[in-house]
Amino acid sequence: MKLKAIIGEQEHDLDVRIDGGRVRAEIDGRVYDLELREPEPGSYLFLRGSEVHDCQVNKAHEGFNVSLHGRNYAITIVDPKRLRSGQDTHGHQHGLAEITAPMPGKVVKVQLERGATVEKGSGIIVVEAMKMQNEMKSPRAGVVVSINVKPGDRVNAGDVLAVVE
Amino acid sequence: MFRKVLIANRGEIAVRIIRGCRELGIRAVAIYSEADAESLHVRAADEAVCVGPASSAHSYLNIDAVIAAAKSVGAEAIHPGYGFLAENADFARAVTSAGLTFIGPSAEAMELMGSKTSARRVAVEAGVPIVPGTVDALGSFEEARKTAEEFGYPVMLKAAAGGGGKGMRLVTSGDELRSAFETAQTEAAAAFGDSALYLEKAIERPRHIEIQIFGDSHGHVVHLGERECSIQRRHQKVIEECPSPINDPDLRRRMGGAAVKIGQSVNYTGAGTVEFLLSDATREFYFLEMNTRLQVEHPVTELVTGFDLVREQFRVAAGEPLSFTPDDVRWLGHAIECRIYAEDPANNFFPSPGTITYLREPSGPGIRIDSGVVNFSEVSIHYDPMIAKLAVWGRTRDEAIKRLRRALDEYQVAGITTTLPFFREVADDEEFIAGKLDTGFIARFNERREVVDAPQDQVDLAMIAAAIHYTRHQQPVFVQGATQTSDGRWKMAGRAAGLRRWKRS
Repeated sequence: MKLKAIIGEQEHDLDVRIDGGRVRAEIDGRVYDLELREPEPGSYLFLRGSEVHDCQVNKAHEGFNVSLHGRNYAITIVDPKRLRSGQDTHGHQHGLAEITAPMPGKVVKVQLERGATVEKGSGIIVVEAMKMQNEMKSPRAGVVVSINVKPGDRVNAGDVLAVVE
Repeated sequence: MFRKVLIANRGEIAVRIIRGCRELGIRAVAIYSEADAESLHVRAADEAVCVGPASSAHSYLNIDAVIAAAKSVGAEAIHPGYGFLAENADFARAVTSAGLTFIGPSAEAMELMGSKTSARRVAVEAGVPIVPGTVDALGSFEEARKTAEEFGYPVMLKAAAGGGGKGMRLVTSGDELRSAFETAQTEAAAAFGDSALYLEKAIERPRHIEIQIFGDSHGHVVHLGERECSIQRRHQKVIEECPSPINDPDLRRRMGGAAVKIGQSVNYTGAGTVEFLLSDATREFYFLEMNTRLQVEHPVTELVTGFDLVREQFRVAAGEPLSFTPDDVRWLGHAIECRIYAEDPANNFFPSPGTITYLREPSGPGIRIDSGVVNFSEVSIHYDPMIAKLAVWGRTRDEAIKRLRRALDEYQVAGITTTLPFFREVADDEEFIAGKLDTGFIARFNERREVVDAPQDQVDLAMIAAAIHYTRHQQPVFVQGATQTSDGRWKMAGRAAGLRRWKRS
């Protein structure tokens, strides 16, 4: 079956054929012939020749988290056959940077106003979560074009707190 | 010894103390908030009492509710763990006036050493050097500005009632002072109910080294050596070791002696930790503060000395003498502990609450895990994000580091993001391996860290595993040719038997 795997910024073409206890896979032209065992749910034990590769796959917020040899990989799998038109709408709006809340919390302070000039790394908003105050910093130099919250507001993960241009 | 003890805490430390109770034949009573009804520390206990809603101010910090819980089950003593009410003298006093035993020092000793300003006075009187700073709490921002200019920047602002890095700010220039002063005040008020701050001159590249002491009610105060806790983030320790990589017998004797002197001067009983800043260049040390409780990082001392600090706390609280004298204390090998937080190291260590969907902990030689979670545990936004501690022991520091890498490779947690990958990187870092530690370690590490790419074939195999998982779970499986079946013969026979039964009825 032909799939796309997205890891980091990169997209890879994957062709995976499972035949009983064997997997034949091709990724960007690299071919793997593997023996497959599934000792527990989400666990994929590959034998490549005599090499042992014990993968643990878990669903993550987006796609999967794969743990292998002490490393974690965030991988999204896309089935091109399931793609409809209208994909790819989130083209990069160049020059805009959104400051989003990484988790639920409470806004304790708004340090800058709309129109203020910011340096890269200057603090814009302070959010309290898990009893720690965290300063949300501007990822780039520019001008604050919007502040969407005020002190006391509850915010959820992913909420856009401010936008810098 | 006590027959029943209530543990006024949650998470890994509650579990740790329950284990101590079990070994001494003490019935362990857990308390829990409504959010924690299914958590590990409740499941591990003999009895459990709900003390209020999720918010810790109304549950774990609710003195009346905690004491009422202890009375309702007939507990004789309360162990506060660390954090929450552990260093609250009013709580210790309330426990005692309720006719129960507080497992910790006297309320007087806690009060003296709990306020950083009075603790500094005690140190000075005991002849132990302190970092230049204000002896009294700052009255106003204006006073803070004047004092800071007097000492010269950088300076450190600290909560007078504080600990755990909350209400603490390093200020490198006058421009930063006002904003730092205000946030530190807000944080101090929120965390400790007291916004008082004091100010210290910041020591450049200091090591944070602390001495574990133990006192009993028979007048003994003994030290159990040092812990190096220089690797800190936001003034919160993340990796601790015993012994310090720069340990030498003379330094340990001098620092241990100073810590014991401070303990003796306040008639200290139970477990306590005297924290020092040590200048790497001059090997001079300064009293920083004292923690009048069991520390998060006590396992490294336990691994190297062989003493069980929780058991010793129970002994001392029950009025028995310490089970050891200074001559009995020996240090064998090297231990390193990592605090595993539900935080995302790739996203500025932001908390990452959620449900643990998969957990595999390391084991084998030299590994100790103190965990507050199991599979399917919920890491809630209400409490501290530390979920577990991994401690390793080796005969040498080098052996301990190799073991640490091995253990981190075995450790698998999914569903939440943890600081495990960060520790795995630190374990390979040259300065860490060389033991060149100071409290600026992480800031410098973040500058120099390079992400080493995984070998291509491993990345490929991870993608293949994800793709197989996708095909197994994301897609409705459409099987062609229903005559082909992979069901076993037992299943077939079972189905046939089922059909027969159905036919007969």
